[in-house]
Amino acid sequence: MRALRVLAVGGEGGAGALQSLRQWAAELRVELECAADLPRATRLLAGGRWDVVIAVLGERADEELTWWMDTLRAAPAPPPPRLVAIADRPSMGLVLRAEKLGVLDLLTIPLRRSDVAHALDSVRSAVTELPVPLPSVELNAVGQYALVGQSPAMLDVYKLMARVANSAATVLIQGESGTGKEVVARAIHLHGPAAAGPFVAVNCAAIPENLLESELFGHEKGAFTGAVARKIGRFEQAGGGTLFLDEVADMSLALQAKILRAVQEREIERVGGTETLPVTVRLIAATNRNLRDAIADGKFREDLYYRLAVVVIDLPRLADRGDDLLLLISHFAQQFGERSGKRITAISDRALELLRSRQWVGNVRELRNVMERAVILANDAALRTEHLPEEIRGEEASLPERGQGTLATLAELEARHIARVLAHTGGQIGAAAEILGIHRNTLTRKMKEYGL
Amino acid sequence: MKVEQALRLLPDLEALMPLRGLLLASARPDQRLQWGSGGPYLTVGKHAVEPGELTRGMAPVLSLITEHIGALYRAYVEALEAQERGEPADAVAALLGAGRLEARVGRLEQASAWYEVALALAEGLQDRRPEIETLLALGGVCLAHGWYAEGARHYQRALVLAEAEFDQGGAIDACVGLGCVAFERAEWAGAQAWYGRALRLVETGGDRLRLGRIEHQLGLLARRQGDLAAAGEHLRRARECFEALAAGREMALVLDAQGELDAALGRAESAAAAYREALAWLRREGRDVELDVTIRLHLAELLLEAGRALEAEEEMRRAEQLAISSNLAHRLVQIYARLGTLRGGQGDETGFVFFEQAIELCRALGCPPAEEARVYHAYGLFRSRFGGAGRDEARAYLERAREIFQSLGVEAEVERVRAELQELTA
Repeated sequence: MRALRVLAVGGEGGAGALQSLRQWAAELRVELECAADLPRATRLLAGGRWDVVIAVLGERADEELTWWMDTLRAAPAPPPPRLVAIADRPSMGLVLRAEKLGVLDLLTIPLRRSDVAHALDSVRSAVTELPVPLPSVELNAVGQYALVGQSPAMLDVYKLMARVANSAATVLIQGESGTGKEVVARAIHLHGPAAAGPFVAVNCAAIPENLLESELFGHEKGAFTGAVARKIGRFEQAGGGTLFLDEVADMSLALQAKILRAVQEREIERVGGTETLPVTVRLIAATNRNLRDAIADGKFREDLYYRLAVVVIDLPRLADRGDDLLLLISHFAQQFGERSGKRITAISDRALELLRSRQWVGNVRELRNVMERAVILANDAALRTEHLPEEIRGEEASLPERGQGTLATLAELEARHIARVLAHTGGQIGAAAEILGIHRNTLTRKMKEYGL
Repeated sequence: MKVEQALRLLPDLEALMPLRGLLLASARPDQRLQWGSGGPYLTVGKHAVEPGELTRGMAPVLSLITEHIGALYRAYVEALEAQERGEPADAVAALLGAGRLEARVGRLEQASAWYEVALALAEGLQDRRPEIETLLALGGVCLAHGWYAEGARHYQRALVLAEAEFDQGGAIDACVGLGCVAFERAEWAGAQAWYGRALRLVETGGDRLRLGRIEHQLGLLARRQGDLAAAGEHLRRARECFEALAAGREMALVLDAQGELDAALGRAESAAAAYREALAWLRREGRDVELDVTIRLHLAELLLEAGRALEAEEEMRRAEQLAISSNLAHRLVQIYARLGTLRGGQGDETGFVFFEQAIELCRALGCPPAEEARVYHAYGLFRSRFGGAGRDEARAYLERAREIFQSLGVEAEVERVRAELQELTA
């Protein structure tokens, strides 16, 4: 087996660590190069292929970790080198951050040879990953989109779609983010009576509230500041076809009333206009929220709900679709492989295990993203853990057999769980405290205590 | 609550600008929205903000404001004391110091007001050096704000005085300033002449920092003129000067320019390496988020040109996050304009939301007119991609951009937009 190529980077107070690494290089079976500072290190990184970077972190260790992961992700010869960070008395927060970012290991000063050896061994063991062949996938293609899956939950969806497609009924598609609501809407359109007409999608969550009305209904020139020219709205653009209102729950109540009027009376007026225009569209709406809860909270009009929910299609979460995951992996590997001129035929057992153990908050959209990146990084016919994003590789420690073998303390578990909930709420303390069932002041105190 | 809703409740008052900044800096992307279909179009307006978080963030912001205002007050008192002592040059220095404090936090108009007071005082002194220094400071503010004609007048006056006083440093800086004004107005020959003059002056003095800066500017100019070989040579010389001085920020600037040059030459790997090294110099030097954001945007453009749209977008999003968390909301204008252009290139009409957000930020933050013109220009080009009724909007945005460029006297840009408008009509 070839020696690992290791780049060690000093920084403030890192001279001692570099000295130790130089002494251990032969025993550790590595080809070691040292760089005294970051500019020198980046020059060396650009000039060759490295397996591991060992970086001594300075005072702003947290920021430096992020910087290093950004830099290594962009290494010229994929896959990017793994990072072993060294910090002086790292906080629990830093340890968790390192895990989240996918840092291979975070070692403490004074450096111990056995710790470095352990970290490097885990890189060497990566070559023992075994390939699992990817199955061939039968697609239900919808233009550039595709419905992939044979799980019972998806078969129910297909049956319902087939039943509603031939009618002109308004459809409400419900499901978590990334479950494929727009793909289903397009499929219904293409198999329905309005297939010859346009399919116009409006993302109600993306458009600023003050512009959504004019986006939907259009406006006359000068109707408001910024109305620089007459605009044809999406209702008009979709005439004779389908209007897809995505994330419909993100509309203000005032706009919901206008949509209701358009649906009931089948006519609209442009903002600032006097002409009444007929509505000749099939409406399909989608949401990732529970509209019944929104109605109870007074955030969604009940009458509009009943107008939209003539037929309701519920899309399953990726985590509930069982073996569809492998089919989707295969589909995306093929799709992105074709795009980048690669033929991906397998995925390693370890990588598959990591993907299977993931929560997939972003469902199929998140998986698609992960696969796109993995295919870019792949340099042969198999996808391996090294091609997965750092945040997924960071979960490797929690898989069986590769863990540290020691049991965690209660404090460690608590810190880990708090960090996970904070990540879920995007750092919003109030929302995190609510999920954890503790007072926000208690949460703030614990965050401080654990250095989160 | 979403930032766009929170901003609607905030009156447009100068005293509340720091609160506006805090509001934007406290914005966090809601992880639950990230993977939604609106995720690719998320802007700061759609981020979430918690009133509690604003309350927690208030104390440090208020303390910074108190510190800032305290420093301004102290500078003023220092100026008064110096006047009383009969040392007006010290009074000018104190007023200049106050202006610099304002400029450092991006309050250019306020900085300009301090400099104007300093200038009025300096003009009455026998020693002309404080006046030269003040004129240079005023020129710098005008340049940053896009008031090019006024900036040129200040630099011109500074040059005349510096030459009369045998103040070589002042004369060099004035020439460089005049070169920069010409450069911004795309008057390449003028810029070349001024930089050339500065170079001749600096070569006699042996000031390596100034020499490096001029070589850097000459490198940028040569690239704009299409002489890539000359650009490379100037940048190499600039790098030599800065590396010898271990001037980290300057090294980062030159490496960033080198990256752009390599990209123009189709040397994508060298360009990426230059950008990465620039970021490493910045990291070593300490925090300069403004420059960090600029380099990341260049890196994103490089990735985009290489067809790596996913990574380009990730880099832009990192720049966005950096700008938000570092209270540099004005940088979001540029970031969103680029994200909008990226979506336009992908044929995605919903990308218009980025331009709308950029325009909204320009208004809310009082961005320099040149920046606003660039956003309208990019928005016009975006709309023109989609034809149909979008052409009327495209024309309206391009005309707005042309008007602003015209008011700034940037003739080359006016001509460019005029040609694009003609093409659109044809």
